[in-house]
Amino acid sequence: MNVKKGNQRLRKRFGDRVRVREEEDRIVVSGRLDSWEDIVEACSMCVCKKGNKHVVNDIVLEGRDPKPMRLPAERDSALEGERPDVLIIGGGISGASIARELTKWKLSVLLVEKEADLAVQASGRNDGEVHPGVDLKKGSLKQHYVLLGNRMYDRVCRELDVPFKRCGQYVGFRGWWNYPLVRLYAWNKKYVCGVKDTQVIGRKRLREKEPQMNPDFQFALYNESAGCVCPYGLTIAYGENAAANGAKISLNTAVLSMEVQDGRIRSVLTNRGRVWPRIVVNAAGTFAEDIAAMAQDRFYSIHPRRGTNSILDKQAAYLTGAIVSFKTVKKEQGHTKGGGILHTVDDNLLVGPNAVETYEKEDFSTEQASIDAVFQKQIQTVGKLSQRDIITYFTGVRAATFEEDFIIEKGRRTKNLIHCAGIQSPGLTTAPAVALYVEQLVVEELGQEREVEKNPRFNPIRKGIPRLRELPKEVRDRLIRENPDYGVIVCRCEEISKGEILDALHSLVPVATVDGIKKRLRPGMGRCQGGFCMPLVAKIISEEEHISLSEVRKAQKGSVITYGRTK
Amino acid sequence: MSMKKLTCIVCPNGCSLTVLADGDSVRVTGNQCKRGEQFAKEELFHPMRTICTTVRTEFAAAPVLPVRVSAEIPKDRIKDVMEEINRVVIKEPVGRGDVVIADVLGLGVDVIATSSLLRYLKEEEKI
Amino acid sequence: MEAYEVIVIGGGPAGLAAALAAHKAGSRVLVIEREERLGGILKQCIHDGFGLVRFGEKLSGPEYAERFIDEVLELGIDVLTSSFVTELKKTGAGFLVSVVNRHGVTDYQAGALVLATGCRERTARQVLIHGTRPAGIFTAGTAQHFTNLLGQLPTRRCVILGSGDIGLIMARRLTLEGASVLGVYEAKPEPSGLTRNLVQCLEDFDIPLYLSHTVTRVFGEERLTAVEVAQVDERIKPVPGTEHIIECDGLILSVGLIPENEVAGQLGVPMDAAAKGPVCDNRFMTQVPGVFSCGNALHVNDLVDYVSESGEMAGRYAAAYAADGTDSGEHIAFKTDDSFLYLVPQQLRLEDRDKKGVLYFRSRNARRNAVFTMSINGKTAYTRKYGQLKPPEMERLEIDFGKYPIQKGDELRFEIKEVMG
Repeated sequence: MNVKKGNQRLRKRFGDRVRVREEEDRIVVSGRLDSWEDIVEACSMCVCKKGNKHVVNDIVLEGRDPKPMRLPAERDSALEGERPDVLIIGGGISGASIARELTKWKLSVLLVEKEADLAVQASGRNDGEVHPGVDLKKGSLKQHYVLLGNRMYDRVCRELDVPFKRCGQYVGFRGWWNYPLVRLYAWNKKYVCGVKDTQVIGRKRLREKEPQMNPDFQFALYNESAGCVCPYGLTIAYGENAAANGAKISLNTAVLSMEVQDGRIRSVLTNRGRVWPRIVVNAAGTFAEDIAAMAQDRFYSIHPRRGTNSILDKQAAYLTGAIVSFKTVKKEQGHTKGGGILHTVDDNLLVGPNAVETYEKEDFSTEQASIDAVFQKQIQTVGKLSQRDIITYFTGVRAATFEEDFIIEKGRRTKNLIHCAGIQSPGLTTAPAVALYVEQLVVEELGQEREVEKNPRFNPIRKGIPRLRELPKEVRDRLIRENPDYGVIVCRCEEISKGEILDALHSLVPVATVDGIKKRLRPGMGRCQGGFCMPLVAKIISEEEHISLSEVRKAQKGSVITYGRTK
Repeated sequence: MSMKKLTCIVCPNGCSLTVLADGDSVRVTGNQCKRGEQFAKEELFHPMRTICTTVRTEFAAAPVLPVRVSAEIPKDRIKDVMEEINRVVIKEPVGRGDVVIADVLGLGVDVIATSSLLRYLKEEEKI
Repeated sequence: MEAYEVIVIGGGPAGLAAALAAHKAGSRVLVIEREERLGGILKQCIHDGFGLVRFGEKLSGPEYAERFIDEVLELGIDVLTSSFVTELKKTGAGFLVSVVNRHGVTDYQAGALVLATGCRERTARQVLIHGTRPAGIFTAGTAQHFTNLLGQLPTRRCVILGSGDIGLIMARRLTLEGASVLGVYEAKPEPSGLTRNLVQCLEDFDIPLYLSHTVTRVFGEERLTAVEVAQVDERIKPVPGTEHIIECDGLILSVGLIPENEVAGQLGVPMDAAAKGPVCDNRFMTQVPGVFSCGNALHVNDLVDYVSESGEMAGRYAAAYAADGTDSGEHIAFKTDDSFLYLVPQQLRLEDRDKKGVLYFRSRNARRNAVFTMSINGKTAYTRKYGQLKPPEMERLEIDFGKYPIQKGDELRFEIKEVMG
């Protein structure tokens, strides 16, 4: 980059408080600023589109002390001395899918996740859209992998027994005068960018397909390949399939430090002991930069971006059968299209997300203002949208780099390290394809030492817990006769049986907490939000795990539900 | 002379009562019926209350059993009676109306079971 | 396929009363209950005050319920517990009811249905509480389940949001079990619960009630550590600058009940947006002939006595429907204005215009010296005076329609009017 020009620009905007310098493998912005928004702006100003150097943020945020990474309370030596071929850091969609693909090889794979379950952070806190990639720039890694990933979804979800629907995406436009411009845009997407399903459809067809969309839309950009999946369901399925094929998944396990020697990671210290991996995969989401720093290979920075989604009652599901949003031709500010409305695989609606820059990587709290902003916008997509139908809402934090693209490559200074970083939207869509590439990188790297053999026993098929409510009567009846617990309905809103809950407790990545069961089966996700079933689920966990009710937790250690017997 | 405001709780009407007490003479206003006057006098001189709570059982299928006092007790004895109730552990499948503590603290009132839950469970062979 | 004349869905107080009434009217009856035991929510309502109207006694919830349960068992009425209705379908002769339980999926045929599915609680998210999502946030009913059925203490130090009856009762209950209840916060300027409960559950234990206050935010990563409360204005919006933080490990919500009518939805039963239950006639039959509604599924009651009453009527008329199966379909719709929160039932069957009918209603506003009025074609026909009307307190009255010359096509209008003096 042109450092001199960069500094001139910075000086003009921020005075002498910020400087940029170029190093061998990165662009470093340093100084002191007292607003996070300014830091994001300063770093974004230094992004260089040419070359392959990323912006590293060394600007000190004055007067604010970002919270340190939340650590699990567990302290033991469960992993002490383990020597896995591959250590994957992070149990989100990236880590779990990479673990699964690596079990195709005769490699010992250890995945560590600091949270009490897989998919607790970004992978459990997004809208589950499988993107067509129509809004991405050609040449980015995002765009490259989104096309590959989208195509893989039918097969992956079939193999992993995860519900997936290609529901299509409609982006509405007002004003006929915009038509030629959008036609041109669509043509470019279809023929130049390779998003082959891109079409522009007229008002009549839009009304037929999505009758509740704003009648003012004269035409829409339509991509039939867009789909939806349950993002944490898919992550857990990947994790379970990896475990079935021999990978070890260690939850409540955080990486604390690394021992690096001669450009190689020698050992990794966790709260559950020191492990000695041959190679490390960094899939640590918003903490990927911190892991990179521990590995002495920090050549990018993450600037977290919060987004809040609302979940609407099934009663509102008729408002759309697809993924709908609208666009104005005038260029919008910010890094998200302002969300949309998505009909989930479970027949709820998801509305959102918005996008807010933050320095807190783990602040998942919600604000009414975010929801108001999203609804104010999306009511223009579907007029009947109402906050009265909200049953719950959640916030996720995306792990954006300043280049707004993925970083999927071998370590620049540290040899036995592979980064899978900067994974934000459409990271769920790209994951199946990215996992294949990371698999290739790992096998290549380890193959330099000795040949890596195929795992002849690899089975790509996972059998999920049967979803009894969706089965034909006769099949459901037969399954109940084989296992009467399938006939005991615990969650009345989502019709989940005791048998399914026991299956989840006995699954390959079992998480015996109320949230663990909720994520696997949905009790507590319906309109009563667990009011009726939570005590019943807690009781089943206590009986099955032989613990007292006061030891049953909502999620991580400390999240107890009761304080013991009243008498 | 003293004045006290009370809300009558005899019936759902919830009349707002004003009680003027001057030595032995008590005047109640705001009541719509006679029971209100009676209530105000009692509430002023000897407030009485019911306790509804649970007792511990030794059965896992029903760790607690609901109980109540068979008649009202003085309001200021609630805490003492709760302590007595919390000492009890039910070992037999008692039924609704059965006495769990007879004449609790000599108040002339029993603590009785208000559910036959344990009986039903016994019949279903769950305890 | 086994056939019944009347199938009652729900084995709580409404369903039990309906089953008994239908049985006594000569029908073969089946009760389907999704929980392990009959009794519905009364199983966990161990406080007293039930049955004052019906039995002249102050019973606890289990005592009240078990009187009905014992009678159902003695009469040998068929009961399925731990059984969940997954599907309801209209068939030529009546209804098909699909049930899932430990034995499999079983279909039953019914001549008439009584929907007695009760209600559910509004949740934290529905009142738009923001912040983190720690353990320790319970609806009052969930906290009651833990305390009274499982014998577990859900909190040691809590704040209660909403002054609904279950919230007030849980304030006392948790205090008796040794927890500290720091206060009850009510967003409205008036308390929602019965006066009796305000006195006996809060005043007795010196638990403060803060009107026009709400919980705006929760804190804590694992378990709840604190809540933020704030004063609210007339539009229930928090007033900036009035926020303060209260350290606690529990937040109990008593912010309202909503009738549960998911199964009714399957039959396309039209709903009353105000009462949030099915639109019914004076026989408690919904607009789908043969489908009856009662109890808290019909509208949220304050007193179980009236839940049983509507259950009995629904059961009796369901039996009659199953026996002759005819429906003239002619109704006179009750017209109401916004002086009511709701009026149930919403219609009078033309053929019943010479009979007595029971009406339940709530006034939209707190009023003193009000008159409930029924007018026929603009002429006042029936009036009843009330010294006091409050939205939290449901009123019940009986009108002998036979006293009035009601004809087909007449307009029956109901109003609550103010009287002077």
